Amino acid sequence: MTQYLRDIYEAVTSALKGMRITGKHVVRKPVTLQFPDERWVLPARFKGFIINDVNLCDGCLRCAKVCPVDCIYIETMGKGKDRFMHRYAVDYNKCIWCGLCTEECPTFACQHSLDYDHALYDRRRLVYEFVDPARPVPCHKERRQQMGYFVEQVAAAPPDPDRIAKAPRRADLPETAPGGAEGGGA
Amino acid sequence: MSETATGRGWGAQDVRRELHSELLEINMGPQHPATHGVLRLLVHTDGEIVQGVTAHIGYLHRCAEKIAEGCDWRQWMVYTDRFDYLAPINMNFGYAVAVERMLGVKVPERAEHIRVICAELQRIASHLIAIGTFGLDMGAWTPLLYCFREREEILNILERISGGRMLYNYFDIGGLRYDAYEGFERDVLDFVNIMEQKIPEYDTLLSYNKIFIERTADVGVIDVATCHAYGCTGPVLRGAGVPFDCRKDDPYSIYDRFEFDIPYGEGEQGTVGDCWDRYMVRMREMYESCRIIRQAVDALPGGPVKAEELKKLVKVPQGSLYTRTESSKGEIGYHIFADGGSKPFRTKVRSPSFSNLHVIEKVGPGMMLSDLVATIGSLDIVLGEIDR
Amino acid sequence: MQVMTDLFARIFGDGLSPVGLLVAGGLTMALIMALVMALCAIVFTWAERKVAGFIQSRYGPMRVGRWHGVLQPVADMVKILGKEDIVPQDADKPLFLLAPFVIFIGSLMAWAAIPFAPGFIAADLDLGLFYIFAVSSAATIGILMAGWASNNKWSLYGAARGAAQAVSYEIPLTLACIPVVMITGSLNMNDIVIAQQGGIWHWHFLHDPFLFVAFLLYFVASIAEVNRGPFDMPETESELVAGYHTEYTGMRFAFFFLAEYANLFLVSCVATAVFLGGWQPLFGPVFLPGLVFVIKAVLLVLLQMWLRWTLPRLRVDQLMHVCWKVMVPLALICVLGAGIWMLATGQTG
Repeated sequence: MTQYLRDIYEAVTSALKGMRITGKHVVRKPVTLQFPDERWVLPARFKGFIINDVNLCDGCLRCAKVCPVDCIYIETMGKGKDRFMHRYAVDYNKCIWCGLCTEECPTFACQHSLDYDHALYDRRRLVYEFVDPARPVPCHKERRQQMGYFVEQVAAAPPDPDRIAKAPRRADLPETAPGGAEGGGA
Repeated sequence: MSETATGRGWGAQDVRRELHSELLEINMGPQHPATHGVLRLLVHTDGEIVQGVTAHIGYLHRCAEKIAEGCDWRQWMVYTDRFDYLAPINMNFGYAVAVERMLGVKVPERAEHIRVICAELQRIASHLIAIGTFGLDMGAWTPLLYCFREREEILNILERISGGRMLYNYFDIGGLRYDAYEGFERDVLDFVNIMEQKIPEYDTLLSYNKIFIERTADVGVIDVATCHAYGCTGPVLRGAGVPFDCRKDDPYSIYDRFEFDIPYGEGEQGTVGDCWDRYMVRMREMYESCRIIRQAVDALPGGPVKAEELKKLVKVPQGSLYTRTESSKGEIGYHIFADGGSKPFRTKVRSPSFSNLHVIEKVGPGMMLSDLVATIGSLDIVLGEIDR
Repeated sequence: MQVMTDLFARIFGDGLSPVGLLVAGGLTMALIMALVMALCAIVFTWAERKVAGFIQSRYGPMRVGRWHGVLQPVADMVKILGKEDIVPQDADKPLFLLAPFVIFIGSLMAWAAIPFAPGFIAADLDLGLFYIFAVSSAATIGILMAGWASNNKWSLYGAARGAAQAVSYEIPLTLACIPVVMITGSLNMNDIVIAQQGGIWHWHFLHDPFLFVAFLLYFVASIAEVNRGPFDMPETESELVAGYHTEYTGMRFAFFFLAEYANLFLVSCVATAVFLGGWQPLFGPVFLPGLVFVIKAVLLVLLQMWLRWTLPRLRVDQLMHVCWKVMVPLALICVLGAGIWMLATGQTG
């Protein structure tokens, strides 16, 4: 009988204690953000969509090799000074945002952007093309200089948030050619 | 029939014989709110009483072990993230330790300390989810949201240090990918201070709530013999009253330098090894993790975070090694066979949830349907880790 | 209804016969009650989300409507109206289609005897309280129908639990009201409210200690009666997916929701009328009776929401334990105690 009464007492008091805690939270300011209107500050290391700055890229293929899911397609032509890259594409269908490519890149061309919100109607549009096939990018340093590309060596620098923030966003990138995904088995 | 079965003493057995009644076969999952992922439980019930449970797994199988044979040693770290997606750092830790032991690499001190801090933060995050979803299985929504609020703080710290919010890929073989950011220590200590204040709040709201105790005490009792038979580790084994923890009993990294206790189930509210004990072990482990983090932050040295002697392409000498570490769910073991090449010859992952889950077949029969949900919740399984 | 018939009599003068007046008044009241129910669902779905939100350190709906997502229920209604009405292939079709309306009607009928304000009562029945309990338990049939007809094992579990729970909790619910009936000497809702005239210390829940306990018992039993947490056995989203309405979609699902929130408000209205003085204000003369009544009932609803978002859920057998071994004996003690109190203080019913 004592146990019975104690059970009832405990049930009521513990419920009231719990209600005190939840009640306190009602008057506290909520911790959530109103997402599209309020956004949190992204850290400099944030792993957003991968971008490649073709001004810096020398087409060394290291990123494509290190990628565990083979989501980077690079196509080049020629040899030595006449080596041109006519395709650099990242297939975000496959990308797992592991960041191995950005670590591997010797020129800091391949970087994570701070871009994370994309909603698309067609998954084929998730293959981003960074090089216009009509205007192949020279891979060799001297040729790039001749053609007026940006060649400043980025000496072992950490990812620069400013540059990443100013990186081309989805809207600025060239549209993927129709059937891009099918042709994408680099 | 067990004690909880309402049929006891009512002649239910006789009635059933006369009625020629059948057991109800019911699929709990793969799409069911209480199965924590894509687990399918085939449950045979007699009214509210469960008569048999079979766990069907494999819905999240991604061939991670086979993929390892095509990846180089560093690449596979990415896949270890995806085993237990609620505690990826702990999964990374095990793999990193395993490969480093095979290589005989000495990890720099600073990296070791940051590793421990991150791993313990991750353990708290994982336990927060375990506690929150366990509460949710009991019908208490609010603790879940409070737990997520605190977990968010952890994720913010880990995001700042690694760039990822869920899958970090932060550990590298021989160290860490990046050094800690400026102000990391302060962030961590701020969080620990908050966390230690929040735990009593959870206790009042959930742990010592009478309804919660009634729902969890004496329910789903897993004793030591069953744990040994099924290979249960982690909070399940500790809940059964065995203070076994790889961090203490088979120390890896620098865990032997820290002072912490191993909480274990004592049957405070009911039998030793019931759901409440398992739950409470997690709650107390969060305190202990906070203690470890404080010590690690105090002792955090400067210096490099990557072993200098390691090349970009790691080649592990021929041989095999089983390495176990303590993840938030239990003992995560990596059995690695190397043939001297740049890729693993074969990897085998011993995942804690896999062993912990199958206890349900032993303890399930005889309990009520609601208790089955409670027991699964208290095992804290993650299907990514079970199926791999 | 007196108010309505008077109103019609004033508008039409002698144009309507007494029977016509009665019919017109009755229909108007029914319409008002249906609107009240719909309004309940709209206001309380929003309120529930906001309460849950603020309890859980978040905002709840914020987008639709300018201020705190006030138009969220409207958006939900529009969405839910556009949903496909799916009937499972092997469902018992007539029962499946009928079940939501049975639940809804059980709830709607009970509203007839709620005295919102002096004279503003659809049916001033002599057996008002009895009628409310009798009619509102019809919802149990709807739950059983829905669960059985869905041809889904989870639904069946939900229905069995729901029926057992509703039938059991009727008893403490009704027993808790009996002391009030003893004091008032009437089952008429109007009489019960009028008996509590003259300030808060005349309200029944402060009449004597037994009645206070009876009020608490009524409150707890009413939460169980409307199947809400911590007694939400029939729905138990973590065990039974969604209980008896697992298979329902679109408008039919909306009817279950409508009935749930309408029931929630109904039991609170009954509690207000029986224990909390109905339309009587805290002190002083009667002032805006309808508003006072609604405010009291809404506060009770908010209290129920607060409880729901705080507590874990009971298990089925514990639910029955609480009902039969705790609440029923306590309610019986209350009845006995209230009777002795009346004899001791020389009151007669």
